[in-house]
Amino acid sequence: MTTDWISLPLVGLPLISSIVLLAFVAYSSPAARDRMGPSIRMASLVFSLIMLVLTTAMFFGSNYIEGTMDWATLSFGSFNYEFRYDWIESLGIHWTVGMDALSFPMVWLTTFLLPITIVATWHEKNAAVYFPLLLMMGGALIGVFVALDLFMFYVFWELTLIPMFFLILKWGGKDRKYASQKFFIYTFTASVIMLLGLVTVYFLQPENLSHAGAWTGRTFDIPTLTAHAQSANAGGAWFLGESLQKILFVMLMIGFLVKLPSVPFHTWLPDAHVQAPTGGSMLLAGVMLKMGAYGMFRLPLAFFPHAAQHFQFALLALGMISLVWGAVVCLGQTNLKKMVAYSSVSHMGVILIGIATMQPLGWAAALFMMFAHGIISPMLFAVCGAFKHHYHSMEIGAMRGMAKHSPWLATSMMFAWMASLGLPLLAGFVAELMMFLALWYFIAAEGWSVLWMVGPAFVLAITAAYYLWSMQRTIFEGGDDTQPPASLHGQPVPDITGAEKWAMVVMAAFTILFGVMPWIALDMMHGWTEAFFETLLIPILKGGA
Amino acid sequence: MKQIESFDEGFVLALAPEFVLVIGLFTLMIAPNVGNATFRIPLTQIRVPWFFGGKRGLLSSDPRLPGLLTTVFFTLAFGLATVSFVGGMNKTQIITEGGSTMLQIDEFSRMFELIFFGALALASAASVNRLPATSRSDRTAAGLYNNRRQVDFYILLLTTGLGMSIVALAQDLFLLFIGLELASFSTYVLVSFIKESKEGTEAGMKYFIVGSVASGVGLYGLSLLYLWSGSLQFADLSVAFAENGMEALPLMALGMLLVGFGFKVSAAPFHFAAPDAYAGATAPVAGVLATASKAMGVLGLLRLLLVVASPEATDGSAVWLVALGVLSVVTMTWGNLAALGSTNPKRMLAYSSVAHAGYMMAAITAIGALNWEDGHVDMSTDAALVVVTALIFHLAVLVCFKLGAFLVLSLLESEKGGHTLESLGGLAKRDPFLAVAMFIFMMSLAGVPPLSGFVSKLLVIMGIVKVALLDVTVNSNLTFGDIHWVWFLALLMVINSAISVFYYLRVGLVMYFHEPEEGREGALPSGTPVRFAILVCLITTVFFGVGAGQLIALCEAAANALVGAW
Repeated sequence: MTTDWISLPLVGLPLISSIVLLAFVAYSSPAARDRMGPSIRMASLVFSLIMLVLTTAMFFGSNYIEGTMDWATLSFGSFNYEFRYDWIESLGIHWTVGMDALSFPMVWLTTFLLPITIVATWHEKNAAVYFPLLLMMGGALIGVFVALDLFMFYVFWELTLIPMFFLILKWGGKDRKYASQKFFIYTFTASVIMLLGLVTVYFLQPENLSHAGAWTGRTFDIPTLTAHAQSANAGGAWFLGESLQKILFVMLMIGFLVKLPSVPFHTWLPDAHVQAPTGGSMLLAGVMLKMGAYGMFRLPLAFFPHAAQHFQFALLALGMISLVWGAVVCLGQTNLKKMVAYSSVSHMGVILIGIATMQPLGWAAALFMMFAHGIISPMLFAVCGAFKHHYHSMEIGAMRGMAKHSPWLATSMMFAWMASLGLPLLAGFVAELMMFLALWYFIAAEGWSVLWMVGPAFVLAITAAYYLWSMQRTIFEGGDDTQPPASLHGQPVPDITGAEKWAMVVMAAFTILFGVMPWIALDMMHGWTEAFFETLLIPILKGGA
Repeated sequence: MKQIESFDEGFVLALAPEFVLVIGLFTLMIAPNVGNATFRIPLTQIRVPWFFGGKRGLLSSDPRLPGLLTTVFFTLAFGLATVSFVGGMNKTQIITEGGSTMLQIDEFSRMFELIFFGALALASAASVNRLPATSRSDRTAAGLYNNRRQVDFYILLLTTGLGMSIVALAQDLFLLFIGLELASFSTYVLVSFIKESKEGTEAGMKYFIVGSVASGVGLYGLSLLYLWSGSLQFADLSVAFAENGMEALPLMALGMLLVGFGFKVSAAPFHFAAPDAYAGATAPVAGVLATASKAMGVLGLLRLLLVVASPEATDGSAVWLVALGVLSVVTMTWGNLAALGSTNPKRMLAYSSVAHAGYMMAAITAIGALNWEDGHVDMSTDAALVVVTALIFHLAVLVCFKLGAFLVLSLLESEKGGHTLESLGGLAKRDPFLAVAMFIFMMSLAGVPPLSGFVSKLLVIMGIVKVALLDVTVNSNLTFGDIHWVWFLALLMVINSAISVFYYLRVGLVMYFHEPEEGREGALPSGTPVRFAILVCLITTVFFGVGAGQLIALCEAAANALVGAW
């Protein structure tokens, strides 16, 4: 029996179940809605756990699911569980799904974070709508990662906006209206520009490639287009000509850089994060930002490697600026969540630098950063959420002496902060170390001065500074004679709830797991980047020299 | 193609949808007057039932009867058109005794009839609740008056439909104009139908004055055209244009006709009356103006620009290329910027309709940019097919979500709201179904996947890009300058649709974020027919997005009938 369809339930289950649940909720009275809350929450948790079991089985591969190729040796351009179904035949649009070592870690991460998010925000109000929206978000995100068709990719890419828009709007903070609007408009504007780029590429392909539409004679199939671009780029020739390739590269990159986000397009992120509810922030930082980096690898870097090489320094500069800017701005934040949000900008800079080095090591670093940051940043936001939830304030210094009052939260916070600043043996460290090595190689190869390493190295110090400083002010300062924050109005200071403890412990455990044994994920990422360079980039880029 | 004269065999069958509408007209005049009157045969005591007048029965005195009947007739016409379109198209031409073609029934005209009848059926269903029809027991003067004039409204809707289908079928410019005027005059009255409202009267007046001036200019153009060629048949005009279309007289005439149709599609600079008209009319009527009436204008433009003054007539690209390109950019940008500042949702939708007109004009411009020299014809026909398909698809799905948005507003209007954005406040709490529907309509208007608005926008962009890249040979020496400048129309279009998200999203924000206005906390009026119409719009909006394939195939067949005839 063939099991190619196995990736369909990953997209279908959360989307369909969430729509059914929401439709069900829409037709019940407010009182009934409150009554149904707990059971809907439980149903969402069960659905998300089923997906986690499924993806974990996929990871262990052939033992469980027939026809699975080993992830680490999956040859470049082939996909596990590839499945194609006609959608709009005349235009060459197919429902094409499949996973390789680029998308699978992201899919697993999404299914991993969904139950964690549900558990960590177990007591969110208006549960009957909130949890289905989280599920829908998860389904749309998985859809982006498994899509191997440009049309389908774009549909899911935009679909992620809608649940997130509502999550921010309905459960967000004081300025949620402004933040959700800004979030939507920024990313939508960027993606329509990307869409025009995609349509232009669509019509610039020769007619009658495989899976072409009966009517237009063109296809939206990503593997077909990648293969075509690869052959057109071969030997130093520029696919679509030099000027056009550069322009299309920029158009696609605008869509992805805004999503990532990179300075100067990052301003939506702090607003969205600060206003978003904890669950929204966790998924936003954990997976949604990675869509940008994922898209870069999947489309512009594979289609337009010459242009990527041409814009290498621009990308490097953007990465450096994001890295430094994000870190420096963090120093000045008094809002805990805003600080964490800017640290995300800084870490996304690391991904961009990794990409800009144009080396297998740098790209593997970027991939691993995507993955590691995907586990660590939800924990950061879970801590922020718990802080807000229990102390009704987000200000650094509103609560002091947490180590005494709330040992669990203090420990989680310390762990998450340490993981984010890159403590060895935790997942983030591996990615940062790889990025530094790759950057070092790059600088050496270019013959630049070692001084170029000062910026990124300096950022490490700043990162340590803002994290340690905020920890010092919230966890340790004050000691025994601290007063609880005024926002608690004399209530006893609570520690985090059992559900939150569970979520923290699981995230911490996986941070340690991937820090101590990074090869679990890194092997397949490394295999993929090596293959990308060997089969695609090197023949193309060296050909003309 | 079968050619038949009037009332030959097959005539009634070929024009079945139109005959249904005519029967509907008579039924509407008769049905509400049916009573128990009898007629005494003179000089005897025998009374024969006569049915006209007397005491009206339970059914015929129901003020909702005309609305429901009209809905049924439009649905019937829609069904008949669908059957003849989907179940094997029997192409027919209706000719005069002299042999000149008057009407042509093909995929193209049928598709547009589907658009018109669909929109009008939904609008008439919605009007059943929207017009202040009260119960039979309402004996107040206003109640009696309102119940009395129900039938007038629906008769006007039927004549609108009839006029529109004549526009779709006409093969003669003069006939087309008659259909256009029949539909226009009906809509002028419909806009100002509720004459007690100041806005309605003012809107109708403005719409009528501007519209009649536009029609007058168009008619003058028509007469010039007749003066020049001696015939207003599309076939004759097309030949005449191909021979010497670059003379001053036909070009002037063409320009004047463009004014007439430009008003109908609310293209800048003829769009000034549209926002007032939409805001003053009842929401279902405004919905008809924004969808069916606009489709009629586009139909006219397509006929005029692509059949009569077809680009083939000149060497290379069409004469009107640059002018229309500039107008399309002005229209879409103006519409979007004006919509940003409107606080009346109906005005906002009107300006968004202007913006959509801009997108469609950009697509028509792209057709003009095609190269029709020898050796390019096949490729150009292919590309033109894509663009026309995109246009028809856009007009068809516009009926789903733009009309749907107006219908949601119409429910708000029945509680005297819908004129300010704030009256939408808290809709999510008051009526989750309406809020979800409105949000989906807004997202579809903005072009968010996987809704049908996205597919239509994608198709238009694809059409323009295809044209722009048609003459491009793909090799590694390609430069950006090789691409035709219409590509920038696509760029402006995506930038404009990014701007438009702002005001579409604002509706969502108000519905989900703001508290209801004072006095609006309770549930909305129920209104089964209008809710049903909204549900139909909602389902089609989603369905034609997710499963666009079938509709695209239909639109392609329709486009083929137009383009293939060149």
